[in-house]
Amino acid sequence: MKRVAVGTVERADIKELRTRFGDAIRGVELDAARDPVVYIDASRSVEILSYLRGSQGYDMLKDVTGLDLGGGRPIQVVYQLWSTEQARPLRIKAEVPADRPKLGSVFGVWRASNWLEREVYDMFGVSFEGHPDLRRILMPENYEEGYPLRKDFPLRGRFTRAEQTRRALAMGLEDVYSLQELAVVEGGAGDGGRAVEAEADLSGVTAGAVKPGSAEQQEMAGLATRHMILNIGPQHPATHGVLRLVVELDGETIVKCTPHIGYLHSGFEKLGEYREWNQNIPLTDRMDYLAPMMYNIGYALAVEKLLGLEVTPRCKVIRLICCELNRILSHLIWIGTTALDIGAFTPFLYTFQERERIYNLHEAYAGARMTTSVSRIGGMMADVPPGWLDAVRDFVETFPQTLLETERLLTENSIWIGRTQGVGVIGPEDAINVGACGPNLRASGVPYDVRRERPYLDYETYDFDIPVGRYGDTYDRYLVRMEEMRQSLRILEQALERVPDGPINVDDPRVILPPKSQVMNSIDGMIAHFKLVMEGLKVPAGEVWYSIESSKGELGFYLVADGGPKPVRCRYRTPSFINMSTLPYLVEGELIADIIAVNASIDIVLGEIDR
Amino acid sequence: MANREKSNVGAERRHVETEIPRNWIVTRLDDLISWARRGSLWPMPFGTACCAIEMMATAASKYDMARYGMERLAYTPRQADVLIVAGRVPYKIAPVMRRIWDQMPQPKWCISMGACASTGGVFDNYTMVQGIDTVVPVDVYVPGCPPRPEGLLYALLMIQEKIKGESIADLRSREEDPERAGKPHLPAEEVELIAGPFGNSTFQNRVSGLESSSPILRPGDRKE
Ligand code: SF4
Repeated sequence: MKRVAVGTVERADIKELRTRFGDAIRGVELDAARDPVVYIDASRSVEILSYLRGSQGYDMLKDVTGLDLGGGRPIQVVYQLWSTEQARPLRIKAEVPADRPKLGSVFGVWRASNWLEREVYDMFGVSFEGHPDLRRILMPENYEEGYPLRKDFPLRGRFTRAEQTRRALAMGLEDVYSLQELAVVEGGAGDGGRAVEAEADLSGVTAGAVKPGSAEQQEMAGLATRHMILNIGPQHPATHGVLRLVVELDGETIVKCTPHIGYLHSGFEKLGEYREWNQNIPLTDRMDYLAPMMYNIGYALAVEKLLGLEVTPRCKVIRLICCELNRILSHLIWIGTTALDIGAFTPFLYTFQERERIYNLHEAYAGARMTTSVSRIGGMMADVPPGWLDAVRDFVETFPQTLLETERLLTENSIWIGRTQGVGVIGPEDAINVGACGPNLRASGVPYDVRRERPYLDYETYDFDIPVGRYGDTYDRYLVRMEEMRQSLRILEQALERVPDGPINVDDPRVILPPKSQVMNSIDGMIAHFKLVMEGLKVPAGEVWYSIESSKGELGFYLVADGGPKPVRCRYRTPSFINMSTLPYLVEGELIADIIAVNASIDIVLGEIDR
Repeated sequence: MANREKSNVGAERRHVETEIPRNWIVTRLDDLISWARRGSLWPMPFGTACCAIEMMATAASKYDMARYGMERLAYTPRQADVLIVAGRVPYKIAPVMRRIWDQMPQPKWCISMGACASTGGVFDNYTMVQGIDTVVPVDVYVPGCPPRPEGLLYALLMIQEKIKGESIADLRSREEDPERAGKPHLPAEEVELIAGPFGNSTFQNRVSGLESSSPILRPGDRKE
């Protein structure tokens, strides 16, 4: 990566940053998408970042992650910022020494940084000073093998398999499930002060925390109450996977909710560094298996950005059709399971019926129902089979009927309204600050959609609306998703009209395998084939942040290449992870029964939360 | 052979028909019990990842596994017969899975659904259990990534087939040693043997972003 000298990037905000902080701005460079990357002095990072948030309007913290280049070089902590007002991104990098990585926490600036910083701590060992709850998040708390995303950490871990199995099973579930331990394991929405308070409470009491103040009063009246701690999960049908929620209850009211995640951590990011660029595509659809094609295509788009490659017009439209179909697929399962959680069984059957139809489309195209792996860098795995577009058209024509029926079951159903309206409310500013994204953010009234803000696949040329909610409650999140499906159908209709003829893959032997006829009959073709198979696709050194609007929110790819056939860093900023971290803000003060409804309403998929 | 079976069935039917008016039948106890067991299996869905979605599809409208007697998905291990492990099982969730298995009453069976549950699948890395059979005993493995709903249905039918052959007099397979609860299912050497890197994955010991080091050859090479 070549660093551009300071001052070559002509953006007012960066110039101002420079005049204000002088030497603390170490350098500025442009990435492959021509977005600025600013290197800052790690010791002044909090100061600079709060200035950016306060005076320059970078109100959205999209990502905090690490980057280790190996060989004892400093670890870079990468902040991805976005200003909703100016609609522009900014990437900030602070370098910390690999042997004692330390940095100030920006929890006080963006609440969204809570889990993101914990993840950097977990994966890279960077400790954030001032973070209220710096614990491992994905790996078990007593994990002893090191920091998995460091370059010196072997892919399979440091211990043998037998040792790893023994340690895992010796973990002692009772230790972590005891009342005391659950209460001490604080975090989530609570700010530092509260965590300490609860801990102090506990020291005096053996069987549960007592609310200070009120408890004393009640004790005088002979009505001492105790907070009860309830553990939901990790294996529970209403947590949509292996999620564990620890809830502190005052009667039926939720005082505090702490999600514990990582039970499905599969090391996608580490694996990504060991796979060739194209080989990562099958991994991407195993992350969000509810909208697999979107992930395939988003990843391919990000790598193409790194390569500076433009796909063919036909490919763009086919990709867009796949994306919108998958948005519907994902929203359908969302309605089905959310309705199921709230007690309505029929919508589940209706929506699964429709999902089967989309699965049939998947199967006709990719051969698999769910793990499609449909994209390739520079194109698609193949052109769509004959008749496929007609089948999609057929779906687009008939699907509104089911949508209507499902809506009739729910939208004006008094139980549904009672369980969702006014439950789990969050306002627009808070939603941005805690990091909500996708339909959850839009339900709070923020019209942020990547398809509008930074269009990809020519979304700007399609006519569609971005539905936004007014109250930011569970009901609004439902309505927004319903309307999004309608809009997806609109986009699909327009896309089906304009599918152009022509090749689906780019004509570039560096990226795409030549057709078999060429490989068999010409020496050029054979050489191109051989080189691509044996050496792999080479991506020039550089980095890129590329995001698409997946069904669950903004899905970001932060890829770093070193010119070789494999990525150096393969960071997936998955929307569910950030959305999940907003749960405590949504449920505190609500009733225990609402936690299921609210948790369902933010549409999580554990595969991408834990990665 | 086929003929004889056929005639036997006929004889049985006649027998049943003549005895039913008097309200009793004669059969082997094993047959009766296994018939009852296999007709009312209560699966305990332990779904973690992608495979769980296919498990849901198996239970939903089109495939409808209730047809085979799995009317009730038991969400509590205490009232379940078949543990269906669908999806990846990282080490962090392994003790939970083992606990669920220990909590299920005998007789119980286990289905490992998908490549990840059966072998770790593509996730040959620091976090994934390389096959749940290192943690709990498995009766049927369903290949696929993910297996189709038909695959899972077939596995359930295979469990039913297996139950048919079991006898209540044979306690060997149903004995449980309370000492073993919460422990790995296999001894350490066997875990090493089946969980060691093989094939393509031995050459993936890329140590830094810019250079590769030699591959791991034997599982033992990685001992501390
Ligand atoms: S076997 Fe495939 S589909 Fe099943 S959990 Fe593993 S990756 Fe997902």
